[in-house]
Amino acid sequence: MLYSAGPVAKAVVFILFIFSIVSWTIILYKWNQYRKAEKEGEKFIKTAKNADSFKKLISTYRENPDNIFYRLMLASYKELTSIQKDNPGIRPEVIQHVDNALKITLSEETERLERRLPFLATTANVAPFIGLFGTVWGIMDSFREIGLRGTTSLSVVAPGISEALIATAIGLATAIPAVLAYNYFIGRLKRISSKMENASMYILNLLEK
Amino acid sequence: MKEETWFKMLVVSTILHILIVGAFSIPMKKSSKKIEMLSSYAVNLVGDPGVGALGGEGRISESRPAHAKKVPEAKVTKPVPATKKPVPVKAKPRLERKEKEAAVSLSRKKTPTKEAPTKEATTREELSRLNDRIKEIRKRTDYLDVSRASGAGGSPGKTGSGYGLPGSSEGGSRPMDPVSQQYILGIWEKIKNSWGLPGMSSFKKDLETIVTIKIRKDGRIVDINIEKRSGNRMYDESILRVLRSVDPLPSIPASLNMDTMEIGFRFLPGDLS
Repeated sequence: MLYSAGPVAKAVVFILFIFSIVSWTIILYKWNQYRKAEKEGEKFIKTAKNADSFKKLISTYRENPDNIFYRLMLASYKELTSIQKDNPGIRPEVIQHVDNALKITLSEETERLERRLPFLATTANVAPFIGLFGTVWGIMDSFREIGLRGTTSLSVVAPGISEALIATAIGLATAIPAVLAYNYFIGRLKRISSKMENASMYILNLLEK
Repeated sequence: MKEETWFKMLVVSTILHILIVGAFSIPMKKSSKKIEMLSSYAVNLVGDPGVGALGGEGRISESRPAHAKKVPEAKVTKPVPATKKPVPVKAKPRLERKEKEAAVSLSRKKTPTKEAPTKEATTREELSRLNDRIKEIRKRTDYLDVSRASGAGGSPGKTGSGYGLPGSSEGGSRPMDPVSQQYILGIWEKIKNSWGLPGMSSFKKDLETIVTIKIRKDGRIVDINIEKRSGNRMYDESILRVLRSVDPLPSIPASLNMDTMEIGFRFLPGDLS
């Protein structure tokens, strides 16, 4: 059906296709990322609950460098060691420093998790409009065709309108998964960031012990 | 590491899309073919052998030789679709010519009052006309018959002026004059252009419906008559619908000087494409 469509319809469909590919890439990528992060978070909290000290936690939890919670610990550990170089011992200021370092890492990690997610929102909002544009253009074309041929027979009108409607269909097909995925990921992101906050609390608590 | 995963997901997503588009394009290709088929459906115009013989008994005998002459001609034209494949370029014009020649039977009737004296003859004629038609249908030939009902008596003088041929015998052996041919081709184009219905290509290729319509001077269709049903109700109804939709046809050219005109059409799902 698309072979016979006009250049505008083809361009619209092409753009929507690109949007769809990119948004699905993001969906798959984020899904994978969040799944990993959540699993790690659960594992971390479980280990942290059972750990007696910070050192023990670090020693039991050192296998995977590509891990949000590991990075949190690493940041706090670095901060701790850099302070303890000058004067060892854990004082309230040290805790404050580590807390700050943890907050920075936390926001960095959240930013990393959020990255590319706005594209899904953009796709969700824009794709139906792009599709609609293609449809309106196609219907304009088919009305012109009616005018030129001077007949309103179904066989003249129907193909043009059906071609035109494809654009909206593809627009919706692109937007709907993007909306669903966006909302789902936002919910998941909240859960992960609360887990990360909990993790940083655990780290601070263990430091104070 | 991260970029690698990103790239992997991009590849996965692209493959997913290609698969989905592929899955959709299989039925879509079929449907787009359907649309192409719709436009290439041809309406063959069929001769209406008996219509010309309205004049009287004598006319029937006159028109029969005309058929006899026709049949060999039809046999020549019939293999055309077969030769179409090797030489498509040549075949097309031939087909068109065939359409033109096959154009139609065209009959002219006088007003009923003038026809009154020959009514009995007309009914008998109609019977033989139907027989003729059935024969023609069996042969499935695309042939042409141009004949004229000259009304009562059939004398050229009474038929009025305009249509130069004196009798149906000559009309039967030759295509009609260019004006009416032009006119009928115009009508045929109009019908062909608006004929089509969704899922048409699902019909069998051997469907054939023969319809005759009677057109008034001003182009109004006063009568639609199905001479032969195809057996497929949808198909027949699509034809009736299209005939109704084209209703005010262009009016009969004044130079033909006719009150009514009867034209026969043969509708075949396209083997002309």
